[in-house]
Amino acid sequence: MKLVGIAGSIADQSYNRTLLNFIAKHFEGLVDVEVLDINDVPMFNQDNDQTNSAVIQNLSKKISTADGVIIATPEHNHTVPAALKNVIEWLSYEIHPFDGKPVMIVGASYHTQGSSRAQLHLRQILEAPGVNAVVLPGNEFLLGKVKEAFDENGDLKDQNTVNFLQTTLQNFIKFAQVINLISKTEDYEEEDLSAKEGTDTTIQGVDMNADDWLDQAAKKVHAVDGDTYVKLDSGLLTVNQLDYFLKTMPVELTYVDENNQFIYYNKTGSAEDMLAKRVPSQVGDALDKVHPKISRVIKHVKQVINTLRTGKTDLVSMPVPGGDESKSHVMHYYKAMHDEEGNYKGVNEWAVDIKPIVDQYLHETGQKLVKDPNAEIDATSGASEKPEVKVDVTSSASKH
Amino acid sequence: MNKFIAIVGSNSNKSTNRELLKYMQRHFQPQAEIELVEIAGLPIFKKSADKYVPQEAKEIAKKIESSDGVIIATPEYDHSIPAVLSSALAWLSYGIHPFVDKPVMITGASYGSLGSSRAQAQLRQILDSPELKARIMPSSEFLLGHSLQAFDDNGNLNDQDVAKELDGLFKDFLQFVNISKQLNNANVVNKQKVEKFSWDKD
Repeated sequence: MKLVGIAGSIADQSYNRTLLNFIAKHFEGLVDVEVLDINDVPMFNQDNDQTNSAVIQNLSKKISTADGVIIATPEHNHTVPAALKNVIEWLSYEIHPFDGKPVMIVGASYHTQGSSRAQLHLRQILEAPGVNAVVLPGNEFLLGKVKEAFDENGDLKDQNTVNFLQTTLQNFIKFAQVINLISKTEDYEEEDLSAKEGTDTTIQGVDMNADDWLDQAAKKVHAVDGDTYVKLDSGLLTVNQLDYFLKTMPVELTYVDENNQFIYYNKTGSAEDMLAKRVPSQVGDALDKVHPKISRVIKHVKQVINTLRTGKTDLVSMPVPGGDESKSHVMHYYKAMHDEEGNYKGVNEWAVDIKPIVDQYLHETGQKLVKDPNAEIDATSGASEKPEVKVDVTSSASKH
Repeated sequence: MNKFIAIVGSNSNKSTNRELLKYMQRHFQPQAEIELVEIAGLPIFKKSADKYVPQEAKEIAKKIESSDGVIIATPEYDHSIPAVLSSALAWLSYGIHPFVDKPVMITGASYGSLGSSRAQAQLRQILDSPELKARIMPSSEFLLGHSLQAFDDNGNLNDQDVAKELDGLFKDFLQFVNISKQLNNANVVNKQKVEKFSWDKD
């Protein structure tokens, strides 16, 4: 999980910054915390909108892409420092990076209060509609008498305090996971099939819809090929070996990344021999380019991807319509891929004709298929003709 | 006649809080002299080793010191007072303490219906802090909602009921100021205490 930390002080010497640096260092194994700087933010003024300045845009971007925010606030005159309030004003005026963002409040002060009143004000501020952050309830972390709290290495001296901080941080991590899951459950309409937003692995500066995207993009990132070894999580193969391996898979594989860009398929043969027709020039295309521009098709693609992205289900399966059932029964499967931290990383799609498998099974076990008189099969219907499959896409079409 | 300093809590050129204070300045002219003070020129509050305070803040402090009371008009940004006002109050309590025992009347205007209610509640708490230690008029609240529609072309309040409410509150404030002048037995001690007070010390 990736968090950003904001120290609410711009003073040269700030114990709240020390506290955030301690959190970042001490809990490194638990969470990744980047401490942001709010020193050069101009005074908020409606008449002089500086939303587009580099310093505000940078803060906004860091907050938007983080899984959560930790704010460490001092207390000035029973409230948060003007410098901190000022940053929040910029980030609630024309842009709203805190919207739906999990936030944890901590604070340190010289006296016994530990910024208690400032923290309450900060809660009210973060609740305002223009900010709309989701603040962790309870779990108050008030560090009083801060001058004696740290040793010369910037580490908290009191083990009980460290333990309590760890508990609150663990609670926040769980809270952030849940809040982010809720926030991510967007309507499928927001799926951008044109893939224009990009992600950290998107190759910039190459037209993704170009026919030779693969060559251009490979050149751009100096991709390895041929006999170069690639270390995988449980194996070591050359690029050639990987190709031999993937091309002989008994299924047709397609990789669509989290940005809705089609970036790979295992070319098992020429397009006319494939169950799902793919050609090399399609590689790199945005999903809206590889699907027909028919609204019900687009809608269905968006529904499937959004269902996977938001975690409503991990697997969508559907038969390909219009085939001769006596010869083949082609199924398409769409499985959500995730990184180690559970972030959605795209779709692993495979197409497979299950008829030979069923036939072989029947042959080897001496059985045969008979019609079910009670079944309500609509064998010709494909998913693309039935957009109403919507979220119960986990069920196969045979139930429809 | 009482002399009041009226702090415009916004740095916007088209502030309805400024409009409200200008109305009060004109409307209450027979009863008090009101001088508007702008805080837009002040930098964001920052602590420094040498406890530097900008000259402009010192001048505002001087005006407050020699006044009989302060009127603050605050907008509401994100449920609280604007950073620019918070910053000004921080400067006006950093080594200088013009607000100690000073009578303060809180007002505020907002475009919506709430009239800066939450910002005013926070402002009360802020003015109560040890280094400001102002004497806020109790049991009074003036919330001017829908402030864009509140004034006519001459800058007068459209709604007579609202105008009457403010008349009453201002009259109360004048009496509160007079009572406050008699409640000054601890003032010298209070001033000394705040001079010595520091969050940095135990």
